[in-house]
Amino acid sequence: MTRMSTWTKPLIGDFLVILVSLVFVGYLFQSLWHHEQAAKLQIRLGDKIYATYSLAQNRSIDIQGPIGITRIVINKGKARFARSPCPNQYCVHQGWLSHQGQAAICLPNQVSLELLGGEKPFDSLNY
Amino acid sequence: MRFLILFFALLLSACDQAPLVQSQSYVFGTMVDISIYGESEEKAHAVTSQILQSFQRLHHQYHAWQSDSELSKLNQSFAAGKTPVEISPEFAQMLTQVQVLSKQSEGLFNPTIGGLIGAWGFQRDEFTPVEINDATIQKLVHANPQMSDIVIKDNAAYSVNPAVRLDLGGYAKGYALDLALAELQKQGVKNALVNIGGNIIALGQHGDKSWRVGIQHPREPKPMATVDLPNGWAIGTSGDYQRYFEQGGKRYCHIIDPRTGYPAQGAQAVTVLIPPSPQAGVLSDVASKPIFLSAAEQRAAAAKAMGVDHYLVVDAQGGVTLSASMNKRIHWLAKPAKMTVQ
Repeated sequence: MTRMSTWTKPLIGDFLVILVSLVFVGYLFQSLWHHEQAAKLQIRLGDKIYATYSLAQNRSIDIQGPIGITRIVINKGKARFARSPCPNQYCVHQGWLSHQGQAAICLPNQVSLELLGGEKPFDSLNY
Repeated sequence: MRFLILFFALLLSACDQAPLVQSQSYVFGTMVDISIYGESEEKAHAVTSQILQSFQRLHHQYHAWQSDSELSKLNQSFAAGKTPVEISPEFAQMLTQVQVLSKQSEGLFNPTIGGLIGAWGFQRDEFTPVEINDATIQKLVHANPQMSDIVIKDNAAYSVNPAVRLDLGGYAKGYALDLALAELQKQGVKNALVNIGGNIIALGQHGDKSWRVGIQHPREPKPMATVDLPNGWAIGTSGDYQRYFEQGGKRYCHIIDPRTGYPAQGAQAVTVLIPPSPQAGVLSDVASKPIFLSAAEQRAAAAKAMGVDHYLVVDAQGGVTLSASMNKRIHWLAKPAKMTVQ
């Protein structure tokens, strides 16, 4: 039993183990780290995606819809309808959205907000 | 080495993007969401646009407050007298189906109370408070319009009661879901999910999993639960939170009790889950109404009368009651504080 020979001759399997480990770490980094950061706000206008914004910022966005201008506010991790030209103001009363999968719709001005995270917990919403 | 191949295969499948084509538009005064899985983007768009055209046609043909729709013209002839008016074969078929469902619900599903719905201001695109006129409401209730007042024969119809005013707001979206499912199948689409203003029907599944839908919380801007919709299943909710107005601190929702003429106050939301049938979509729309309008102790019987096994009720205080079969299928995202399984 010479200890040296095992140290000087790494087998192909050893390289594969190292390679697989590296790829696995890369994969975990991608799938876990990346998704945690992926809190985004998707805004739709009519049947089109108007824009997708990161939630990690402070800003307001004005959108021209069929009946006027809707103001959306993003405030570090959450978003809401701040002002709307619609008469019933349900969208504004919905308040802040902060969790992935939450959504708010303004039917009169055809603007909808949806918070996107990693994997969506469902395909469509029954309301 | 075998392990390695398996590992990379898994890795690749994790990166694979599902061929899901989604589209969103506005029809029936609400949002229409169509997802098609496993077809080419080109085909998915073509089928979606065809379905949306059918929806537009239904919307105009059966519109309850545009005076030139086929439905409004029939309402005008009902008011004028008992002369039969020719209607399209599709309309005749719809009315026959509605008559059966209305009878089944013992009149709680009554789409002839268009007069009352108009008086409460819900035959408009916006819901602003109306002046509540008790005398008008009493008069409309007393006139007692019923589906059974309508006589349908050889694609013609008349009403023996001049107070009948059809408003298919609680039926048309469900009918459109059944129509969409038939169209998707005809076009050879295997997997799709169609959502019309919250009423949803599923075809096939989403990849290797069932389509999954979220059920909206009636008082918070988030889903309270999810449920899997297997092939051919439909889900529908009647809620007091989408179409309503508030006056004097009280909420008046669009679900009018035909017996009293007043908006229902007993529930925040009723959800029904309907197994595959040629009228699964229609039932997902219609069957929640009689349950919504029933007193708490009558709800199980109302569901049974409509042939509904799976139902979920959020009562006016936020307490949840659900059937045992619904309890088996539902996945709570936020478990309710007060929950009864019946």
